[in-house]
Amino acid sequence: MDVARAVELGLVSAGAAILGSMLGLGGGVFLVPIFILFFGVDQKLAIGASAVAVVTNSIVGSTVHLSSRFTNLRLAMLLQVTTAAGAIVGALIALYARTNLINAVFGALLVYSAVSMALRRRAAPPPFEADAPTRLRLEASYIDPATRTVVQYRPQRVPLGVAVSGAAGVMSGMLGIGGGAIQVPAMNLLMRVPVKAAAGTSSFMVGFASVATAAVFYAQGKIDPRVVVPAVVGIFFGSQLGSRLTRRVPTERLVLLFVVILLYLGGSLLLRAAGITLPGQE
Amino acid sequence: MSRTPPPPPDSPDEQLDAVAAATPPLVATAPAIAPGKRADAGEQTTELAPVYEVARTTLTWGFRIGAAFLTVGIVVALIRQEPLRSEAQPLPAIIPALLDGRASALVELAIVTIIGTPVVAALVIAAGFFRIGDRLYALLSLLVLAILGTSISLALLR
Repeated sequence: MDVARAVELGLVSAGAAILGSMLGLGGGVFLVPIFILFFGVDQKLAIGASAVAVVTNSIVGSTVHLSSRFTNLRLAMLLQVTTAAGAIVGALIALYARTNLINAVFGALLVYSAVSMALRRRAAPPPFEADAPTRLRLEASYIDPATRTVVQYRPQRVPLGVAVSGAAGVMSGMLGIGGGAIQVPAMNLLMRVPVKAAAGTSSFMVGFASVATAAVFYAQGKIDPRVVVPAVVGIFFGSQLGSRLTRRVPTERLVLLFVVILLYLGGSLLLRAAGITLPGQE
Repeated sequence: MSRTPPPPPDSPDEQLDAVAAATPPLVATAPAIAPGKRADAGEQTTELAPVYEVARTTLTWGFRIGAAFLTVGIVVALIRQEPLRSEAQPLPAIIPALLDGRASALVELAIVTIIGTPVVAALVIAAGFFRIGDRLYALLSLLVLAILGTSISLALLR
């Protein structure tokens, strides 16, 4: 076991997880490009390692979100059908697509995340009507610890949400990321689910989608324990630290820094897709 | 004579009830359900409590077992200076390697345990929905389980 290399990968994974937690994007969004661009890790192995790390993180996060009822279990299982199926399709695309295509898609996603972060919008849930017909019984409630109030909501535009979840699953499988960067805004802006419930439900869902991704990569021999172990350990501890930092550090003031990092990584991957490697990268 | 304050609520349901009783309905009210009407969100949350609990317990223990395998595997690999494999083996090959005392096999078992935990969670969630009589979501959970099971069985038996 190359301990020095494992420690390097573990520390970088922890850093990726801290950034990901503070942005609410998950560690995989940073982990995969950093592994590829700065450590020369094979793209497929980086995606496989990230998928396993995302499963770990989702399991740990979900135990908290399930207790606090931020996770809407019915909504999660409904959306999960298309997300998990999409993740298998995405993983198969990642395994057989050219490296340049995956780099280009990942780069575009990071640039999109940077732009959407700069223009961050949030939607409040519509007024809750207890007597409204609810065939799917997706209405739920939780206690908002910030305001100590009971928040009740009923997801809107469910068919659209199911479709977007399928697309998020494809991206998740293709890039080894959790897909929260797509799921949370979709649930909040399209389905009018409160942000905390969207984040809790997404955190639960990304673990299932990443299982589908990780299993497909496992079947193809693209799970390298020498990369997976540091990624899992680093992402786990980094996320714990990131969650604590998020409570203490006003992340709004750091948005510009995060946007620059996302643009740099996204731009680097887009250039890599065009055959250009920036100085200092492998 | 002083009165003893009631003990703090423990479970999320008790907390929900306590806060709902003590807090003015700033966000939404939960009126009583008339016979024949559908349940409101608060009632749904209480109804699903056993499903939430069984999901949380499964994920917690899956993580603990996976983390234990991983920790022991890493420590043994470091002590013996045993290299990890560059490719995780399929499950049928992991078990004989475990019996041979290979640390790398323990690390691979940890990876399989972590990947398998949400699959087991989908199964217990489906059972939980069946138990409370919610057939629609029990079937949806089984559908998710079938999708995950297909991909994971490919991985384990390759």
